Amino acid sequence: MDPRTDAEALEAVATDDRDALRVLYDRHAPWLVLRLRRRCGDPDLVDEVVQDTFVAVWRSAKSYHGAGDVGAWIWGIGVRRLIDHLRRTPAPTAELEEPRTAAASAEEEALRGVEYGDVGVALGRLSPELRAVVQATVLDGLTTREASKLLRIPSGTVKTRMMRARAQLREELV
Amino acid sequence: MSWHVEPTHLLAYVDGNVDHATAASIEAHVIACADCRGLLAPAVDRERLDRVWAEVVDTVDAPAVGVVERLLRRLGLRDADARLLAATPSLRLSWFAAVIGVLAFGVLAAHAGGNGDSAFLLVAPVVPVVGVAAAFGPGMDPAYEIAVAAPYRALRLLLARTVAVVASSLLLGGLATALTPISGWAAVAWLVPALAMTSVTLALATRWEPLHAAGAVTSAWFVLVLADARAAQSRAVVAEPGVQLAFVIAAAVALAVLAARRSTFETGSTR
Repeated sequence: MDPRTDAEALEAVATDDRDALRVLYDRHAPWLVLRLRRRCGDPDLVDEVVQDTFVAVWRSAKSYHGAGDVGAWIWGIGVRRLIDHLRRTPAPTAELEEPRTAAASAEEEALRGVEYGDVGVALGRLSPELRAVVQATVLDGLTTREASKLLRIPSGTVKTRMMRARAQLREELV
Repeated sequence: MSWHVEPTHLLAYVDGNVDHATAASIEAHVIACADCRGLLAPAVDRERLDRVWAEVVDTVDAPAVGVVERLLRRLGLRDADARLLAATPSLRLSWFAAVIGVLAFGVLAAHAGGNGDSAFLLVAPVVPVVGVAAAFGPGMDPAYEIAVAAPYRALRLLLARTVAVVASSLLLGGLATALTPISGWAAVAWLVPALAMTSVTLALATRWEPLHAAGAVTSAWFVLVLADARAAQSRAVVAEPGVQLAFVIAAAVALAVLAARRSTFETGSTR
């Protein structure tokens, strides 16, 4: 196990240290694959995005200024690469993944809702369209424009759906 | 960090069996927690990760794509063609810088008055001729031997490079002309000699080395224009219809010779 922290490894990558890139890849590629998989159903596309992401990490390691987790920085690159790829591929091949949780029974859903508290339940009650917008903007940290590219809807629609989602969440939580 | 994701939840996340709120909370935690990241790692196929890593290394190791090559790809060329064109000695940025320098002197001369017009008309048509001569052949092309051995038609490479060099030369020449006080017909008078001399150079290159051919052609051109500039105080004789027609005929003959002798390029014996 390499003793370097992520930030140190990234600094080394900035000086063209290939081993340091390998260290970061081993630490961060797996979760990136899993997280992208929840947003894109095409495994080949996910692989391509992961590849592009680490190539970008190699090339732009110098632009990391030590603010925030390296993981968050890598995710920022990865999710934007995903958007770039989705924009280039025709729409039906890669869509935001619909919940596989459909397989879970209603009871399970309800039980989990209790477990994770009000926000989780409220989030779960949002329609898939609204939830996708919340996920893209709030949880994945995308801008309205990036979210509109990811979800293939106009930015105006992202804004109105975000407003509706906020209103619904407020109603359920307050 | 004291809080960690329950291993069962991590497994459910890997299988896609968690609701969105749980997934979001796992993802937010994993981004900052090395321990939980480590637990997730075995969930992704090692072979798959190694395959992607191999591609990352390939891309990272690939030589950086230059400005010219990126531009050519942007124009819709296939990667291989773009690389072959970008390797042309006379499509390098340093070459363009030299051409701009030469043309700048021509423009200055044209502004200086006197026989300055002739000086510009002397220089402008030579640019594509020398550029084409430097674009192929054993003397200049660093990839010459590779190109001869490659399963790629030498004539195709030659013509592609010629077109690219002529196009870029004419573009720069045209811009330079726009900066001179030369107006009317005389301003484009250098175009026909430029194309004619390029064709003749290519035709001669079926027998001699391209640079020698270009040297002979441009020398002849210098003699013609300088003699004319000395004799006539008026407009350059180059712009006269009869002379232009002569250049057109020369170009046609040269292209016919080139077509007849094109097979000499395939054998790599351009001597």
